[in-house]
Amino acid sequence: MEFKLEAHRIVSISLGKIYSARGQRGGLKLHKNLLVSLVLRSARQVYLSEPGCPPEPPPIAAPEEQPPPPQDQAARLPAADCREPRPRGCGCCGEATCGAAAPPTPPPCPRKRSAGERGQAGSPVKRPRREVEEEPPPGEQEDMETGNVASLISIFGSSFSGLLSKEPKARRRDPRDGGDATETTEPGQICCDEPVLRTLNPWSTAIVAF
Amino acid sequence: TADIISTVEFNHSGELLATGDKGGRVVIFQQEQENKSQSHSRGEYNVYSTFQSHEPEFDYLKSLEIEEKINKIRWLPQKNAAQFLLSTNDKTIKLWKISERDKRPEGYNLKEEDGRYRDPTTVTTLRVPVFRPMDLMVEASPRRIFANAHTYHINSISINSDYETYLSADDLRINLWHLEITDRSFNIVDIKPANMEELTEVITAAEFHPNSCNTFVYSSSKGTIRLCDMRASALCDRHSKLFEEPEDPSNRSFFSEIISSISDVKFSHSGRYMMTRDYLSVKIWDLNMENRPVETYQVHEYLRSKLCSLYENDCIFDKFECCWNGSDSIVMTGSYNNFFRMFDRNTKRDITLEASRENNKPRTVLKPRKVCASGKRKKDEISVDSLDFNKKILHTAWHPKENIIAVATTNNLYIFQDKTN
Repeated sequence: MEFKLEAHRIVSISLGKIYSARGQRGGLKLHKNLLVSLVLRSARQVYLSEPGCPPEPPPIAAPEEQPPPPQDQAARLPAADCREPRPRGCGCCGEATCGAAAPPTPPPCPRKRSAGERGQAGSPVKRPRREVEEEPPPGEQEDMETGNVASLISIFGSSFSGLLSKEPKARRRDPRDGGDATETTEPGQICCDEPVLRTLNPWSTAIVAF
Repeated sequence: TADIISTVEFNHSGELLATGDKGGRVVIFQQEQENKSQSHSRGEYNVYSTFQSHEPEFDYLKSLEIEEKINKIRWLPQKNAAQFLLSTNDKTIKLWKISERDKRPEGYNLKEEDGRYRDPTTVTTLRVPVFRPMDLMVEASPRRIFANAHTYHINSISINSDYETYLSADDLRINLWHLEITDRSFNIVDIKPANMEELTEVITAAEFHPNSCNTFVYSSSKGTIRLCDMRASALCDRHSKLFEEPEDPSNRSFFSEIISSISDVKFSHSGRYMMTRDYLSVKIWDLNMENRPVETYQVHEYLRSKLCSLYENDCIFDKFECCWNGSDSIVMTGSYNNFFRMFDRNTKRDITLEASRENNKPRTVLKPRKVCASGKRKKDEISVDSLDFNKKILHTAWHPKENIIAVATTNNLYIFQDKTN
């Protein structure tokens, strides 16, 4: 339980750092934000892998992504279709380059976790380094900082929405309708306590803005 | 806050010491010539030249401000009367020429002394202008501007031992330049993934080998160092050697990745070793052994139990530098509370010293400090909880030939030398 609290605290702190990184002079610090995102992922994994998480339903709007750079506008997935923020929705827009590189899972969602990943209660789970959470975007032009920001948003966004739910179906549904269906699936994968989510609420707005 | 020192570097002879600051200024100190009658101390360092190297810029396309903070300064070896250095901010590298002027021509026929042109009708005689001594003036002028080659933030520059080329490294790429050519550079390392969402590591520092002009290393945020040989291929994405120490599983925490990120890498003067600095330690690597460092020195191990707080207050992201002494027998690095640490590789002794005005009068010998990690604090020890984490020494430099060190606290530069008798 201690680890869970610590993990939650670290998640909150990390989100706060991402939020405050927005207005920094000199532009996005890629190194620091990468490190923060790694910590966020580790903490999130521990948080979700800890047993004792009551099943739950959270009416929190999934974060939407900041408008991507203009040249990607055409390839972008309409936000309504997908709760998961995706910079350039691959499987859905049918981009050739993207399709070729995409991993086989079609739903644009956070990775599904195998049973093996979960049971390490009490120790931070090391995230596999090569794991690709999301499908690659279509060949994008190299757009420097804006591209980075969009990528980081999707990273943070997926991490964040991962906190909400693991089920693709549930994600597609508007959470405000009630996520009852999600409860029947894997307890422990589904996120959390009301109070926790209430705490997380302001951060969802932060991520949206970011 | 513009006075915050962001880089410190001795030149090749040690006579000059350059500092860069957050406000884009460079201040150069010069060592006074030794006074034969006062052989008990070497010359002091006094301000020699001050100039504005970089100004803040605005990238209108991306709506981003480009900071003028000087990230690194590197000196070129001296070839003639003038001195040259490279200074860089996040995006642009500049080659500066620093030259002395101690005489000026006087006695022009057509101009007054103040430069105004004389009425030609008043010129009735001709004379030859002569050079007359004047007060020493040190001028800095930008000779080359190397711009528009870096998408991400430049963290390192390093001059090649051929003295003709140099490299510049940002988070994801390393470029090779010729000092004479500003309109193009060659990309020699590119670790940007095709899909930025797969990004897992960035380049944190890079340096050319001191003797071997085809060899350079770069360190990463994952704690690895790659040695590359430019003769192998044009794009050095495949390393010749990969230096990495396996992680100690008993030390695993949420912050393991952050603290393993390397903040500085420096070759020894001999070129046989390299030193890396990560958040808690300094490691010495033998270039012939890739699987682990040959020496590891703990800088402030007592911080390991405080990593969560240090993450919260951002201190865990501080990038400490490290340096070798001239004979490669001692290494030095900074810490918090204005402490800095030296490790003697031969005797295995280490010392903690403090750079502060209150505790040290000029010409007094520095008193060794000790941090009490836990338990009963002895007299003169400082407990971990009373360390001031706002007082950090990130930048230190060691004179290439003598035991003179430069230590930068947030706003001040301290120069220490060993006691001579």
